[in-house]
Amino acid sequence: MDTHQAAGFDPVLVEVIRYKLESIVEEMQSSLVRGSFSPVVKEAADASCSLFRADATVIAQSRSNPSHLGSLVFSTRALLEWYPVSAMQDGDVYVINDPYLGGTHLPDLTILVPVFADGRVIALAANMAHHIDVGGIMPGSVPTNATDIFQEGLRLPALRLARGGAFDDGLLRVIRQNVRMPDTLEGDINAQISACRIAGRRIVEAAERYGATELEQMFETLIDRSERMTRAALLRLPQGKYHAHDQLDNDGIDLDRRIDIRLAVTVQDGHLTFDFTGTSAQVRGPLNIVPSGVHSAAFYGIRAITDAAIPTNGGCFRPITVKLPEGSLVNPREPAPVNGRTAVMKRIASCVVQALAQVAPERFPAASAATVLVMAFSGATAEGRRFVLTDLVNGGSGASLGQDGVDALATDMTNGSGIPAEIMELSGPLRILRTELAVGSGGAGQWRGGLGIVREYQVLAGPMAFTHRGERHYRAAQGLAGGGPGGLAHSEIRRADGTVEIIPSKIVTTLQTGDRVVVRTPGGGGYGPAEMREPGALEQDRQDGKATETAP
Amino acid sequence: MSQSPSEMHATHKMAGHRAGTDIGIDIGGTFTDIVFRHADGTSGHLKVPSSRGAPELAVQQGMARLFAEHGVMAGRICRFAHGTTVATNAVLERRGARLGLITSQGFRDVLEIGRQSRREIYDVIVPRQTPVFLCPRAFRREVPERLAADGSVVVALDETALASQIDSLVAAGVDAVAIVFLFAFIDPTHERRAREIVLERHPQLYVSLSSDVDPTFREYERTAATTFDAYVKPSLNRYLAAMETDLAAMGVAAPLQVMQSRGGVSGAAIARERPIRLFLSGPAAGVVGGRDVAAAAGIASIITVDIGGTSCDVALVADGQPLVRNEGIVDGFPVRVPMIDVNSVGSGGGSIAWVDGSGALRVGPRSAGAEPGPACYGRGGREPTVTDASVVLGYIDPAYFAGGSLRLDAEAAAAAIATVAGPLGMSVVDAALGIHRVVNAQMAEAIRLVSIHRGYDPRGFALVPLGGAGPLHATTLASELGITKILVPARPGVLSAQGLLAAPVEHEVFEGFGRILTQTDPASIRHNLAALDARAAALMARDGVAGGISVAHSADMCFVGQSYYLDVALPDAADEALIPALYEAFLVQHERIYGHAARNPAMIGNLRSVYRSQPGAAHMGAADAATGGADAKGVREIRIAGLPHSVTAQIYDRSGIAAGARFEGPAIVEQSDTTLLIEPGWRASVAPGGALLVQRITKEG
Repeated sequence: MDTHQAAGFDPVLVEVIRYKLESIVEEMQSSLVRGSFSPVVKEAADASCSLFRADATVIAQSRSNPSHLGSLVFSTRALLEWYPVSAMQDGDVYVINDPYLGGTHLPDLTILVPVFADGRVIALAANMAHHIDVGGIMPGSVPTNATDIFQEGLRLPALRLARGGAFDDGLLRVIRQNVRMPDTLEGDINAQISACRIAGRRIVEAAERYGATELEQMFETLIDRSERMTRAALLRLPQGKYHAHDQLDNDGIDLDRRIDIRLAVTVQDGHLTFDFTGTSAQVRGPLNIVPSGVHSAAFYGIRAITDAAIPTNGGCFRPITVKLPEGSLVNPREPAPVNGRTAVMKRIASCVVQALAQVAPERFPAASAATVLVMAFSGATAEGRRFVLTDLVNGGSGASLGQDGVDALATDMTNGSGIPAEIMELSGPLRILRTELAVGSGGAGQWRGGLGIVREYQVLAGPMAFTHRGERHYRAAQGLAGGGPGGLAHSEIRRADGTVEIIPSKIVTTLQTGDRVVVRTPGGGGYGPAEMREPGALEQDRQDGKATETAP
Repeated sequence: MSQSPSEMHATHKMAGHRAGTDIGIDIGGTFTDIVFRHADGTSGHLKVPSSRGAPELAVQQGMARLFAEHGVMAGRICRFAHGTTVATNAVLERRGARLGLITSQGFRDVLEIGRQSRREIYDVIVPRQTPVFLCPRAFRREVPERLAADGSVVVALDETALASQIDSLVAAGVDAVAIVFLFAFIDPTHERRAREIVLERHPQLYVSLSSDVDPTFREYERTAATTFDAYVKPSLNRYLAAMETDLAAMGVAAPLQVMQSRGGVSGAAIARERPIRLFLSGPAAGVVGGRDVAAAAGIASIITVDIGGTSCDVALVADGQPLVRNEGIVDGFPVRVPMIDVNSVGSGGGSIAWVDGSGALRVGPRSAGAEPGPACYGRGGREPTVTDASVVLGYIDPAYFAGGSLRLDAEAAAAAIATVAGPLGMSVVDAALGIHRVVNAQMAEAIRLVSIHRGYDPRGFALVPLGGAGPLHATTLASELGITKILVPARPGVLSAQGLLAAPVEHEVFEGFGRILTQTDPASIRHNLAALDARAAALMARDGVAGGISVAHSADMCFVGQSYYLDVALPDAADEALIPALYEAFLVQHERIYGHAARNPAMIGNLRSVYRSQPGAAHMGAADAATGGADAKGVREIRIAGLPHSVTAQIYDRSGIAAGARFEGPAIVEQSDTTLLIEPGWRASVAPGGALLVQRITKEG
């Protein structure tokens, strides 16, 4: 039923309330990022906040990390299944991270706090943050060589961390005992809870002012109108069924086996269907992705291809059906390892855009690198202090009609920032020898693809455990409308003794003093035939040295 | 608008702390405002049209009029303070230096790579997110050189390579150079030696060092700050030099002072060395002017809301000190340089209303700007704006807008609003009320952001509305935020120029420290602060300030592992108690702002010393000296949110409101540069200093 037609729809108040809700989630996000400890959260903003209705429908989301925003929906649903809102108390805090119960991968902890007004739950404030370490076989908890989820770290099903304001000390002690940096983890959990409570206070103020029931009706209206606008935007797209295919390098275990992502996107009658039939079966290594992550990619996709002016909430996500073959890469059976989900999710999101770019190349770009290289260096300093240094390195974005791709940019599902060399070197015995654009890595075209990055690390004091999760070492970002593919990724270890080991996209190994790691991230695809590139742009590329191919 | 000294308000005489005349000049986009104050406390102001592209022309014209019409004598001018937009304009118009950037080997692309993040997450096509225009890759060069994180030299500076790179850059036509070496903030020796070499070979170049501009961690942020600094250096130097020459030619002996983004002035010579500190020169002067007006009325904590055609800028002054943040925004790019914390949202009088696909009313982010402007301007605008709604609601008199200088078309306003009223199924008046509600909600959230979000409760502040449209929204915004006092400056139009007269001379210096608190020797804090003090004191001495200096020491602190700092004032404690006291002060502040503060290890990121002269007091009050009441010049039917019918508002002319006046809303106060709407439930009176104080009427009266 069209609730907006119902008596009481106030086209002004709805906008006033929307602005307030969006302001609340932004405040929540800023509080979380600034108050957190984990370098991945504070430097790379790998954290997200949402406000939910009591039935787990999104009311408002922070402008942060799309990979979390959809996943938070599943975590919240899972928590509500175990702890129905009717049994919640003011002051409760809930936590979950298990991917098979609604989580994403183990380092992402979801915290949820119910918001009470008029003696009942009128909203849920929730956020998800990537924690520095949740145990498992490798520091940093993203082992590319994991073969089951038990190796990936501590699994937390839906749990109540605090009841009516009183924390469950036993549970906290269990968590602390299972992770490598308990103080940091607890600090970040505190920042998450605090951000939820800040949001809760503001929601309560709004309920006092507008009335709890009225506010709940407004949530309904906001969600319905985003749904309506989304359906209308889908009707304006070229209707039909579009296909995309991309290939992941390997799963970190079977290094020579490529993994297919096959996606059919159907745009019909104001509805989107994502069908993954034909996608590879689940893999032994951690490149599997649980359905929550696929839905995140679908949510990102629908926001990216509809109208940016539509307020983002659960209504936008209603006109979506996702078909996930059981036992496949995108719907694995427990206990398959899943820590590498981000790599898959980014490529799925890229496939969504690529499928539509085939029919509307004037609106969508060529493929972006659509991958973020994740590395973890860990060990102990001479004084015995443990450290885990994580680095995230992006590639180039795809070119589009009238615009070169952007060099060195996080695209699609993630918005991670590179870690400054000065922070890396301050935090552990590493030296960054260079951070530069990967010249020649942009796909050729009338508009050139964005360049990737070359970064070189030197180990000052080994041994150091090293994890490298790359992508696009074997499959380039494709061009569009006649444009060429972006450059491939390439990484190698240059041992102190002079031997060179090429990293086959993923590796877990040990680095010794004097060893160097050189990584080169992939470029974005080009747009249009290269021979159409304007002479001025060619000359600029020449002057800037962006077009010449050089060895990393 | 000019007044002769005989018209000046007697209560604005101040003890003549100086022997001559003080001048403040603020150059805005449309007008250049000049205020002056004689030694006997009499003061006045005038406005001359700004000359785009040649800001010094308006200054020359204005000064000529001051000498000819206002009895100002060049030789008796003892202070000449200036707010400038030259730095900002150089960036906005991309007309800065042809710039070269020299970095440590391996790091020339840091400026372009940035932090790899984007501002719009759902856009599939995004523009560049870093200010590459400052220095394209061809002009970015590397030299072998490297320090380790502890400041030790890993690779010595290759002076030959440096010489060859700088020669090649000069051959390519650069007129300014930024030098950024890794960890230079720990030891600036390499950067300083590089500058020596550059200047030995090419003494005409402007040079900025990262260890001077932004001496702390994170190479991208430091590189961006240093390149912004160097980019505007030549134009700012030329401009200030020309102005000094002009002033000397006029016989003005007083040194030229320039408003910095933190809200204090510095001598032109120092400003020319670090122009990055001038990006918010104009808005900062406005905030300081607001503080000055409030101080005259006995109010120390204010929130200024400057609403113009395209934006709403909010700033906060707590206990007389403007809130400063250590990273600002320049043309959309985050730049790590201290600025008054001005939060800007794209809501203003020109914001355009529209109906979205679900039938809800939206306002902005598109704006009609100044051209074509709102529909009521009659310059071809057809779309409904906030200003059109103000006309429909009766807040603005079409015959008396901007003092009658622009006649508004009320029918065009109503016709424009009708284009959204129809689809909304509302009357034109209800749609206009709706537009105001939505835009007020946006502005109220912006105010929340700089107050509640920073740990302040807005209810403890007075709202100071500025700009052409600020006073129209003041009572509504105050009600929304629980604020009970509004202070409307007598002349909001010259508040920035007034702020220049009131601003102290201020110098802030800081440096990266990077130590865990429990491992910090208090003596090292004292030692480093002493070095900072010496630098700040030297800057004050160069500006001729000897006595009456206040010193503020603070530390940028965070928990170990965090990245964002809180600026914690150094507690007054003996050495042995310093570290624990600092820790406690940090915990209190962390709890206030983030709502949590576990007793985890903390660290000091930077140390800071701020030297400030006694702030002046401009107190440029209203011109009338009369006491008595206020006579309404008429009445008008207006519409107010929440009332189903029109109400009769008394219309006052600002110049007709005498010191003893008291009146209640609904009322409208008109003056040439703004219109004040007083809703029912609010009462106005004249505060000491001449501003209008509008207070919430309480049950007790």
